[in-house]
Amino acid sequence: MTILKVAAVLLTGFFFGLTLEGISRKVMARIQRRYGPPWYQNFLDVFKALSKIGISHGWIFDFGILMALGGVIATLAFVPLGNLVAFPGLDNLFIIVYLFAVGALGMAMGMVGSGNPNASIGVARALTQMLGYEIPYMISVAAVMYYYKTASVSTLMLSQQDKWTLFKMPIGGIVAFISLLGMLGKKPFDTPIAPAEIASGPMVELSAKYMGLLMLMHTFSIFVEVGLFVDIFLGVSNYWTFLLKFTVVWIFATLISSVLPRFRIEQVVKFYWKVPLSLAFIQALFVLIGWVF
Amino acid sequence: MISITNLILVFLFGSLISYLLTKANKVLGSIFNFLLSFYALYYVWNIEVGHYEKLFNIFPNIENSLKVTYLGKFFAIISLIVISLVSFFIIEWIRKKPSRPAAFNAFILIMIAGVIGVFFSNDLLTLYVFWEIAVLGSFLIVPMGKEESKKAAVIYAVTSAIGSYMYLFATFSIYSKYGVLSFDKVSSYLLNEPSNLFKWFVILFIASAGIAKSGIFPLHTWLRITHGNAPDAFSAILSGQLVKMGSYVLAISLSVFPSTMLFNAFYHGVPLINYLLIWLGNISIIIGTFMAIRQNDMKQLIAYSSIANGGYILVGLGVMNSIGYAGGLFHVFNHAIAAAMIFLSFAAVVYRTGTTKIDEMGGLIWRMPWTFVTYLVGIISLAGIPPTSGFISKWMIFNALLTKGMFITLAITFIGSVGSFLYVFRPLAGVFLGQLKKKHYEVKEVSPIMLIPMLILVTLTVFIGIYPKPVLDLIASIERNIGIKPIEYSGTIIKTSLGQWNTLTVFTMFATGFIIALILHLIFPKGKKVELTDQYTGGDYLYNYDLYHYATGFYKFIERLYDKHPSFEKLYNMLASFFKSMGEIVNGIIYKVSPSGYVFWISIVILILFWVRW
Repeated sequence: MTILKVAAVLLTGFFFGLTLEGISRKVMARIQRRYGPPWYQNFLDVFKALSKIGISHGWIFDFGILMALGGVIATLAFVPLGNLVAFPGLDNLFIIVYLFAVGALGMAMGMVGSGNPNASIGVARALTQMLGYEIPYMISVAAVMYYYKTASVSTLMLSQQDKWTLFKMPIGGIVAFISLLGMLGKKPFDTPIAPAEIASGPMVELSAKYMGLLMLMHTFSIFVEVGLFVDIFLGVSNYWTFLLKFTVVWIFATLISSVLPRFRIEQVVKFYWKVPLSLAFIQALFVLIGWVF
Repeated sequence: MISITNLILVFLFGSLISYLLTKANKVLGSIFNFLLSFYALYYVWNIEVGHYEKLFNIFPNIENSLKVTYLGKFFAIISLIVISLVSFFIIEWIRKKPSRPAAFNAFILIMIAGVIGVFFSNDLLTLYVFWEIAVLGSFLIVPMGKEESKKAAVIYAVTSAIGSYMYLFATFSIYSKYGVLSFDKVSSYLLNEPSNLFKWFVILFIASAGIAKSGIFPLHTWLRITHGNAPDAFSAILSGQLVKMGSYVLAISLSVFPSTMLFNAFYHGVPLINYLLIWLGNISIIIGTFMAIRQNDMKQLIAYSSIANGGYILVGLGVMNSIGYAGGLFHVFNHAIAAAMIFLSFAAVVYRTGTTKIDEMGGLIWRMPWTFVTYLVGIISLAGIPPTSGFISKWMIFNALLTKGMFITLAITFIGSVGSFLYVFRPLAGVFLGQLKKKHYEVKEVSPIMLIPMLILVTLTVFIGIYPKPVLDLIASIERNIGIKPIEYSGTIIKTSLGQWNTLTVFTMFATGFIIALILHLIFPKGKKVELTDQYTGGDYLYNYDLYHYATGFYKFIERLYDKHPSFEKLYNMLASFFKSMGEIVNGIIYKVSPSGYVFWISIVILILFWVRW
C-alpha cells in the first residue's frame, strides 16, 4: 500500500509538474507578448535530453546528480498531496526540510565536481541565498507549528478545518510566500542561475542525460516547495483541490517573477533578513500573545 | 576487572613506558597507546553504574572518590571511542609527525588518565584535580604542531585556567559554607539554600569551566588558535573529545545541580540562569558560523564550527526538558564523531600535501577518494542532514525550542544550521573538488591503517543515524537518573509532543530514491568521459588550469556584509598588550640591575609586613 502511494506521489510529481511548467512557460510568454511553446514542451525537453549522449566529468559528477535526484525523490515521498499521504504520522516538517538539503548538497557537489568556476560561483550563491530565505521561512512555519502544537504536515493541514492558516496568520503567509519565491529561484531571486552573468551557474557543464535528470529533480523540488506551502497555509484539501491550489500558487509565482528584475546576491540576503525576517518575528509574537484571527 | 583507580594508574605509568617504547620505535609506542586506550574503552563499556571507589583525602572529613554515573559513563564511552580510533590513526601518522613523538605519546596517555578521572569523579575537587591533569597533558601536546603553536598552547592554558580557577573558587566557597563536596550532597544543600545570589554564583562559576572548555562565547577565541595549530591528528582529539569535557561540566552545572528546581521559572519553565546560558550559546552559534564561513584555513574553519556546535549543545542542555536535554546529549555524541572524522580526514590530507590552506589545494578526490568519503559523511553529519546521526540531535533541539516557543533562539539555531551547509561546503569544493594542482599530481591515498579508523567512524555515524537506539537508551537512562522525563522512542521511531519520525523509513526512502535515480541513470545512454580541463569557458583560451579552480574568496559576497565585525579576539589582544605595558612600567620601576635596588625593595616589603602584622 505504501509503495503504491509513493508511486502515486512520484507520478503526480512527474506528470503534473512537467505539465505545469509547460503552462507557466506559456503564461510567461503571453506576459512578454510572445506566443510561447506548447504545454507539453517540457516533456519533449526532458525525453530529448535523456536520449542524447553527453559528457561526464568523472564519478563525482555522476554521483552528485544521483544524490540530488535521489534526495529529492525521497523528500517528495514525505510531502502530503492533499489526502494522499504516503507515510501518515511520519511526515514531520523538519524531516522534509532537511531531507531536501540532501538533494541540494548532492547537486552542489556534482556541479562543483565538474570543475567549472561558473558552477562553483552558482553553487556558492545558491547556498548563500538559502541562508537568506530559509530563516524567515522556518520562523513563519514555526509560528504555525507552535500554534497547532504539531510538526506533522498532514496534521497541520487538517487543523485548518475552520479557517485557512493564511487568513489566521496573514503575515506569516506572506513571509512564507516571499521565501517560496526564493526557494523556487524565481525572479527577483534567480541569482544562482543568472544566465547572463555566470552562464547558468550550476548547470554550465550539464548536457544530455545529466541535464534531463536535473530537470526532473527541478520538477520534483518545485513540487516539494509549493506543496508544503499549500499544505500548511491553504486549508484542508483532497488530492484534486490540492492540485488546483498548487496550480494557483505556482502561476501566481510565475506572474510575479515574469515582471521583476534580478537582485544581486548580497541584496537577497539583506532583503530577506530585513523585511521577511522581521515580519516573521512579528507573526511569532502575535502567536505567542494569542492574536490569531 | 581492575578498579578505576588502577586503570588511571596504569595510564599514568603507561605514559613512561610509552615514552621509552616510542624512543625505541615510534610505531611500537603508538601500538602500545592504541592497545591501552582500546582496553580503556572495553573497560568503560562494561563498567557497572553505581560502582564506587575511595580515592584520597585532601580536606579533613571529605572523602574524594570516584563513582560511575550514567552521565559519566555516556561521556566516557564517547571520549574513548574517539580517542582509541585516533590512537589507531596515529600508528601510521606518527612516522611523519609530530616534532617529538615520544613525548607526544606519553602526554596522550597522561591526558587520557585525566579524562577518565574527570568523567567518574564523584565530587567537585576530584573533578578539578583530574581536569587539570587532562589539561596539562593536552597543553603540552599543542606546541608540537606548527611554528606558531607555542603561542597557541599558552592561549589554551590561560583560557582553560580562567574557567578552572573560577570553578575552583566556587568549589572552595561551597566547602567553606556547607563542608561537603560530593555532587549529591552539594545539590541537596543547594536546594535548601535561601540565598539566590549564592546559587547564581555557584552555578555560573562552575559552568564557567565548561564555558571555557567547550568554547562558548566569551571564552571562545582559543579554539581557532589551538585547534588550528595543534598537531593534525591531535586536533581530532581536541575537538572530538576534550571540548566535550566542557559539555560534561555544563551538564553537571545545569542538571546534576537541578537548575529548574533551584530557580524560579522565567519563560515557559526555563529559569533565567538557563536562559542566560542559552544566550551565550546563541552568540557562540552566530560567531562560530559566520567566522567559519570566512576561513581559508580548513582546520580553523572546523575549529570555528566547533564553537557553533558547542553552542548547540549548550542550547539543548539549557532548555532542560526531556527532548532538549536529550538533544544536547545526542549532539555531544554526534559532534564528537563528526569532528573526529573531519579532523582525521584533514590530517590525512595534510599528511600527503603538507598544507592546510584551502586555496592551495583542489581536486584531491581523484587521488584520495576514501578520505573524501570520510569528509563527505562527516560534513553531512555535522550539517545535520539525514540519514546520518547528526540530524537526530538537531531535530530534537529544534523541537525543544519550538515547544518552548523560543523563536529567536530557534532562528539562531536555523542560521547555524543553514550556515553550516555554507562553511562545510568550502573545503569540500576547495580541497577535494575541481582541478588537481600540478604539484599534487603525485599524491597518493593514505595507507589502510589511517583509513580504517576513518571508515569505522563513517559506519558508526550512518548506523546510529538509521538505528539510534543504543545512544537513546543511554540518554534515557541518564534522564531517568537525573529526574527529567525520559525521551520517548520505540524501535526506530522517535516521539515528541510535536510528532514523530522514523529513522528507518527515512533511510529506506532515501535508498529508494537513490535506486530510482540510479536506474534512470543506467537505462539512458552513457556519457562520454572528459577531463576536468575540458570546460566551457565562454570562448577564453586557458593556459593554466591551476588558476581555473575557484577556491579563494568563495563566499566573498556574503563576507562583505560583515567585514567590519566587532571582535573579542581584538579586545583580548588589547587587554594583553595593556597588561604587557603595565608590566613593563612596573619592571622599569622595580627591576634594578644593582643588588642594592633589591635590598631596598626587600626591606620595604619587610617593613610593610611588620606594620600589617600578617
